[in-house]
Amino acid sequence: MTEQELISIPLMVDVPYRFAAGKYMSKFLIELRDNGKFFGIRCPKCGRVQMPPRVVCAVCHVKNEGWVELGHEGTLLGFSIVHLPLTDPTTGKPHETPYTYGSVRLDGSDSALDHLINVEPDINKIKVGMRMRVVLRPREERIGDLSDIIYFEPIAGES
Amino acid sequence: MKRKVAIIGGGQTHHASHRKDVNQVELVNEAVRAALADANMTIDEIDAVLLGNMEFFEGCHMTDCWLADGIGAYGKPGLKITTGGTVGATIVVAGAHHVASGLYDKVLCVGFEKQEEGDSSAILSAVAHPLYGRFLAGAAVGYFAMMGASYMQAYGAREEHSAMVAVKARQNALKNEYAHLKLDITVEDVLNSRMLAYPIHLLEMCPTSNGAAAMILADEKTARERSDKPVWIRATETAHNEQFELDWRDVTTKKPIFSRVAAERLYKKLNVTDPTKFFDVFEIYEPASWAELVWYQDLGLCKPGEGFHLIEEGRTEIDGDIPVNPSGGVLSTNCIGASAMLRIWEAALQIRGDAGEHQVPKDVNWALTTAYGGTNWTVMTALSKEWDE
Repeated sequence: MTEQELISIPLMVDVPYRFAAGKYMSKFLIELRDNGKFFGIRCPKCGRVQMPPRVVCAVCHVKNEGWVELGHEGTLLGFSIVHLPLTDPTTGKPHETPYTYGSVRLDGSDSALDHLINVEPDINKIKVGMRMRVVLRPREERIGDLSDIIYFEPIAGES
Repeated sequence: MKRKVAIIGGGQTHHASHRKDVNQVELVNEAVRAALADANMTIDEIDAVLLGNMEFFEGCHMTDCWLADGIGAYGKPGLKITTGGTVGATIVVAGAHHVASGLYDKVLCVGFEKQEEGDSSAILSAVAHPLYGRFLAGAAVGYFAMMGASYMQAYGAREEHSAMVAVKARQNALKNEYAHLKLDITVEDVLNSRMLAYPIHLLEMCPTSNGAAAMILADEKTARERSDKPVWIRATETAHNEQFELDWRDVTTKKPIFSRVAAERLYKKLNVTDPTKFFDVFEIYEPASWAELVWYQDLGLCKPGEGFHLIEEGRTEIDGDIPVNPSGGVLSTNCIGASAMLRIWEAALQIRGDAGEHQVPKDVNWALTTAYGGTNWTVMTALSKEWDE
């Protein structure tokens, strides 16, 4: 039997949709956008301060209430230096490599926030436990999502 | 469970990065035919069909509609399941529940992924919250990279230990005729491969595979009548983490994360005190080599921080005293919707003594399998050869 021709057709799916952030996430993002502030929410039962704020504490399954303003500084919990040119799904363009990103626990929070870190992509220049500071875009450039944060940067002289 | 449930047949495709010779129906049908042949059954004998894969990875929805003919669901009851990377195991657990409840006697379970038809990274990025973290998404490798960095920092392990896991997987895959990546590689090869995200090199991540798996589950009466080597599903367990909290990447976390909670509950059901003595083989879900080292401690195969000694001492090799992933694992084959089912099917093959060249060289009476979903949850199963009350 001669080899059969096989048809394979390139297609594209492009789906518009509207994402509702809800009351808790909206307040968090509006405070970030308008006032450059981070807010977590405290569980009335276990006391954990959760960020991003959410309606229910997963552990206690009670309604979270009690907004807590968090600082702009925190501690690095983990990091990676990425060499693979992964696409930024929000822009469709690849991140410029290599880049460093990490997970930072803001002071006063029990959660961690993942974001880019402005350090040389060298494993000797970054380590878990380093103190970090958030660097925000100027007010007029902020739109109300995590791109309002440019990156974390190490706090000079602290570790 | 109310009634005993056994695996009485199964099958899989030859997994590969390209299967342009088949469409999705043809792909799943290969596995279904293999499973029916293995169980010496016809599709008429099957009471219900359960199907699963990753949502939208192939660019089409409602695969239970598209694939009905290929999976043999014509005129039969059934359902489609989708629980991320765990889906293959979730299908088997749901199948076991259908049989255990008395609803059906013979259930066919099918899991597949034909990744070459879609864009897995693009679809995966939609898993992340659109306003909170999606800009960094698509980086599954990044999550495991943080796990690896955390592991080295906490326990003093080195990149070589992760590379040893990658070598073990591919050496085992060389013995598995169905595996995708069969690479005769060394630790040096792994460490010299391209860096994806520190500390993970290309050869320390799973491939993108196309493939399918199918299994037939039956009640005790059918199993004893129809199978020489029924494999019993003795316990299953699932646990979820909370959203937004990626604690599992921090290996030192004290929180009761999914993997440890599920293992603890499963061991309690079976009165397992030392899993290394109780189970004869493990088939675990390791999309990255560091994940295997973390599973060692989360499953209690060693004390926290000592997992890298297990690989160093060769104890989890195919001929070691705690064999882990003799099939080559997810590191060698990742057709995602089938991957967690392959863990269970490969464990069943070990119990039956039918694993061929990658059969572990000892009696296998008990096997444990795991899966990752997200990875904010797991699905585990425990299988046995005999059922002594």
